[in-house]
Amino acid sequence: MPGYLFISPAVLLFLVFVALPLLAAFGLSLFHWDLLSTPEFAGLDNFKQLVQDSATIRAVLNTFVFALASVVTHVGIGMLLALGVHRTMTRGTKYFVRTAFFFPFLVSWAAVALLWKYVLDPTFGIAAYYLSSSTNWLASPTWALPTLIVVDWWHTIGYTFIILLAGLQTVPAQLLEAARVDGANAWWRFWSVTLPVMSPTIFFATVITFIGAFQIFDPMVIMTQGGPDGATRSIVQYTYEKGFQAFEVGYAAALSLVLFVVIMIVTGLQFRLSRRWVHQ
Amino acid sequence: MGAPVKGRLLDLVLVLAGLVMIAPLVWLIVTALSEPINAFQLPPQWIPRPPTLQNFQQVPDLIPFARMAWNSVQIAVITTAGALLTSALAAYAFNRLRFPGRDQIFSVLLAALVVPVQLTVVPIFIMMRWLHLVDTTVAIWLPALVNVFGIFFLRQYISSIPRELDEAAIMDGAGHFWILFRVILPLSRPGLTALGIFVFEASWNNFFWPYIFLSSPEKMTLPVGLVSLQGAVGGGPAVALFAAITLVVLPILVLFLIFQRSFIASIATTGLRA
Repeated sequence: MPGYLFISPAVLLFLVFVALPLLAAFGLSLFHWDLLSTPEFAGLDNFKQLVQDSATIRAVLNTFVFALASVVTHVGIGMLLALGVHRTMTRGTKYFVRTAFFFPFLVSWAAVALLWKYVLDPTFGIAAYYLSSSTNWLASPTWALPTLIVVDWWHTIGYTFIILLAGLQTVPAQLLEAARVDGANAWWRFWSVTLPVMSPTIFFATVITFIGAFQIFDPMVIMTQGGPDGATRSIVQYTYEKGFQAFEVGYAAALSLVLFVVIMIVTGLQFRLSRRWVHQ
Repeated sequence: MGAPVKGRLLDLVLVLAGLVMIAPLVWLIVTALSEPINAFQLPPQWIPRPPTLQNFQQVPDLIPFARMAWNSVQIAVITTAGALLTSALAAYAFNRLRFPGRDQIFSVLLAALVVPVQLTVVPIFIMMRWLHLVDTTVAIWLPALVNVFGIFFLRQYISSIPRELDEAAIMDGAGHFWILFRVILPLSRPGLTALGIFVFEASWNNFFWPYIFLSSPEKMTLPVGLVSLQGAVGGGPAVALFAAITLVVLPILVLFLIFQRSFIASIATTGLRA
């Protein structure tokens, strides 16, 4: 049976590193365990604790705000940018702008987060200087989360932008030309031709941005450690704190299940809503 | 007259936006090349004053940079080669071979695409601890050898290759390994390249997994090493840290400028086909 032979490496690794851990996460969430002493069965204790823990609620809320803001800024500004780059006739401009906006995406979050900590520094950062501000954004309970949203936008917009730009290139020129002949102005051509053709791409970008944003961890852990006072703590970061710093493994597993459920519900909802606006 | 002027205005706005976008990176490199006493001056100097490499020489004293770079390369190469191989084998089987349970197994794999790695990290950490693999590079690449997205992506790619080609080879008595490696994979080169860049890049930049599993400096990858360096230089202006970040960013920039087309294609195709 060559079929089984060919799939066996992938399937074995899948069983060991995806399926088994997935089941184990469900199991672990029912225990109290600090990795050292004997695991102690706790039933739904971790989940009870979870809904009463104000830090969890805060982390879930922060993550939702972050994800919603990400989708709006990445897809919205990404679309404007893609339209602009698509329209420009100058090859040099096209090349430069595409490079400038895409390149940050290839830089690791670690490098981006460290660099931006200095960019935003109130005493010697260039952002503070050019915006003539002495606010310590990352230390401000009000501004820390919006600031991370901006940094995330800078890092990740390139991905959304390239996907939307590639989608724009699939819009048939004849269709746009036909609309032009029919007397449709630029706005109407965008609304009646470009947008419908692009809708599967925009849908894809929206879903992917949401899923990625719900799993955000790196900038929080490097730039703010979730602070000030939990203002930027995300679900994944809280999972990390509980599991690998406080060694409450069962609680961490319960938290990661919350993340999983949130992603499932939001993605499912998006697919359901997509029937109304995505053209197949 | 209206159109060209409008076009030029659009260009101007786009170029200005692009300049603002790269400003932090330019500031990074200029600062890394400055004498420590001149660095972090305001207003920022955008043209390097007599550039110096002394900050770069300081980096190896603070962290085992070469060692970390080697770890990153090693992990990224093993992950990419391994994930491409396991994905190609599975993708071929799921598209071209018939066996009981094929579609069901494929559906189960696909469903796992929505499982976030954060859900599996705690159990895998416990597993790795039990195998004494915590704080080794194996803990980083071993779980990454299976890439469900890669299987899905390559299966889509292979399904677009005409079946007549491999059917002819079967007539000639060729085995499935031969067909996969001599017929299918050479024809899948654009797909393999796109996926390969995608996987390599993700591994090279991965922070979450190495941050959890690696603790000794000589085992760390570059992203985790950079963050540990932040602790070593303290809170003040850190020219050495800027030099280290530059060392991480520069190779990617050079590679990107050479292979821009492939990088962009890898994002565009892996994204669009998913």
